[in-house]
Amino acid sequence: MSNKPMPLATALSAPFWEGLKEGRILLQICASCQEWTFYPRRHCSHCLSHDLSWEQVSGCATLYTYTIARVPTLPEFASAELQILAVVELEQGVRMNTTLIGLEPDQIKIGMALKPVRAIVSDDGTVLLRYTGADVQMVERDERPKAPPVADQSNEPTRQKIDVKDIETLRALVSDQFSDWSNQVLVDQALINDFARLSGDDYWIHTDPERARKEGPFGGTIAHGALVQVLMSRMQVPLSFEVTGFNNMVNYGSERLRFPSPVPAGSLLHSRVRVKSVEVLPKGTQMIMEFNIHVVGQERPAVINDLAILYM
Amino acid sequence: MGLKGNAAIVGAAQYKPEKYSTAPQMFHLEQVADLASQALADAGLKARDIDGLCINGPHFHEASSFVPAMAAEYLGLAVNFAEVVDLGGTTAVGMIWRAAAAIELGICQAVLCVLPQRMAPFGPNDDPSAMARAMRYGGHSTQYGAPEAEFDLPYGHMGQNTGYAMIAQRYAAQYGYDQRAMAKIAVDQRTSAQAHPDAIFRGQELTIEQVLASKMVADPLHILEIVMPVAGGAAVIVASPEVAKRCKSRGAHITGFGERLGYKSPSYSPDMTETPVGAAARSAFAMSGLKPADMQAAQIYDCYTITVLLSLEDAGFCAKGEGMRFVLENDLTFRGNFPMNTHGGQLSFGQAGSAGGFSQVIEAYHQIAGKAGDRQLKVCDQVFVSGTGGVMSEQGVLILQGA
Repeated sequence: MSNKPMPLATALSAPFWEGLKEGRILLQICASCQEWTFYPRRHCSHCLSHDLSWEQVSGCATLYTYTIARVPTLPEFASAELQILAVVELEQGVRMNTTLIGLEPDQIKIGMALKPVRAIVSDDGTVLLRYTGADVQMVERDERPKAPPVADQSNEPTRQKIDVKDIETLRALVSDQFSDWSNQVLVDQALINDFARLSGDDYWIHTDPERARKEGPFGGTIAHGALVQVLMSRMQVPLSFEVTGFNNMVNYGSERLRFPSPVPAGSLLHSRVRVKSVEVLPKGTQMIMEFNIHVVGQERPAVINDLAILYM
Repeated sequence: MGLKGNAAIVGAAQYKPEKYSTAPQMFHLEQVADLASQALADAGLKARDIDGLCINGPHFHEASSFVPAMAAEYLGLAVNFAEVVDLGGTTAVGMIWRAAAAIELGICQAVLCVLPQRMAPFGPNDDPSAMARAMRYGGHSTQYGAPEAEFDLPYGHMGQNTGYAMIAQRYAAQYGYDQRAMAKIAVDQRTSAQAHPDAIFRGQELTIEQVLASKMVADPLHILEIVMPVAGGAAVIVASPEVAKRCKSRGAHITGFGERLGYKSPSYSPDMTETPVGAAARSAFAMSGLKPADMQAAQIYDCYTITVLLSLEDAGFCAKGEGMRFVLENDLTFRGNFPMNTHGGQLSFGQAGSAGGFSQVIEAYHQIAGKAGDRQLKVCDQVFVSGTGGVMSEQGVLILQGA
């Protein structure tokens, strides 16, 4: 279950969507004026005749125009893949709004030949018509939300070992630069429901997808901020260093905890970290590590957590 | 065909653009009454002079239908002409010519055109998330059966930014693109905004380098080429010659207008780079008997820099494909040889939702009436005004002239 808007077929448009499910692209053609019409209508958009019939077409098209949405048009459209919105012109002369996939920005040229890709977007079999380059090997893509691959830890880089008494070297770690991204973690409705049971926070905006879609501000359910915060434990952030030589290390709490943006159910999360400060306190050496958890592809963090680690 | 030019803008009021977070919250009816009284004071008229009303229907807070009757009742006015105008950013232009036409038909003498755009206070039973839900899809309908709900939103086509960006990309492929020229539109307007006491970006000068270094929102549009939404609202009084005679300042006569729309999504336009303002401008110029070269100022709707560029070309201020060169070769500030958006444009003045289009109308009136303060043009008798709604999908033009 994703919060992305889905097409709701009407009696008029059902043949188009049903056709896509079966692998056929159907367009309406007018028997009176022989012109094609898209999107599906009761009447011909050229002569207003009602004499329309459905015909199967190849779907081959040229690129009329496109843009790369550097800010996703909805939080749900944030992903590791660029959101490339496009208008394509089919051989029949009709234009469609779509997205481009399987192409790098420098491969995209207005006027280029494109071919359709069936994108399966939900468990009920709904198919959206995306486009890619005419010579790209792709005819279908399963886009139903699924668990990300397990993090591969076999080739983790060797970490610089730093003794906790070597304050100068520890301080040299302080930087505005974040680490590379961690592995990705899926936060789906089942996990949110589990957390609601565990925490007792079963507010409908987290647990009732139907009500959240109708009444909530986000178009669907969102994860608890606290859930996203603790999912940090499932993310391995590639750190360049390892602190050694201490007797005890404690999570001393948080200097700052913020939830700047919502995490819709079905989001993929990843995180990164930077060392914000290193301070010698009477009880030990305190390192503040700023963890930022993001929905994959979303520039604004979902969680900012300045975690205080105390080495004693 | 068309208007004789008898009706004139004789008064106006406009809230200072403010951030929504700090602007006062007022019911829309309250704002209508407040703006109306300010505009009447500007004109030197009394409430009982008003006998026509143009008002917005969509987004009117206290009602979604019967808006004119409710507003007339609240104001204590009886009118012979009531019109709801639903044309997005060209609503202001659309109201003004409808008011002028009603006056020339002899149905009324003075029309209040009003569009409140401050937020209304939340009520105890209001759902605070309703607005967030409405904002989520921008100006798009999510109703069952709405073509855009079915064929645009699932693909992520929503909001205005990406639509305008796709028009710019298509333009670039056909005619070439100079991002410095595009940035200069925003920069020249920012220069003019420094001379408007109410401009939201007054006190913040801008360079081409700053525009180009600003965040890319949707290729090729940077954030500084995109308007900032603000709270505001505006009212304008359009009056007959008999009423105008009693007014305090020089009126801006509506001598030409045009309006054109044929699609909501520009994806379905015959040619994305030939915008409806072309047809609207041809109609307006023909009606007024003037041509682009006769204009002493151009107040061009500017939700994005690309809107300005295409409007300059399609309205005939320069040839198709020559817009970038035109922008680079001309000084567009109020001190320049082609004064354009002399209030800073909405890019630098602020965009008060669909009332934003009133900023262009009111600036044209202020220049003609000699009320433009530090940015007053020496000679300003003939002004071009445009409005743009949707994604360059509904556009209108006014030609305003001082008598």
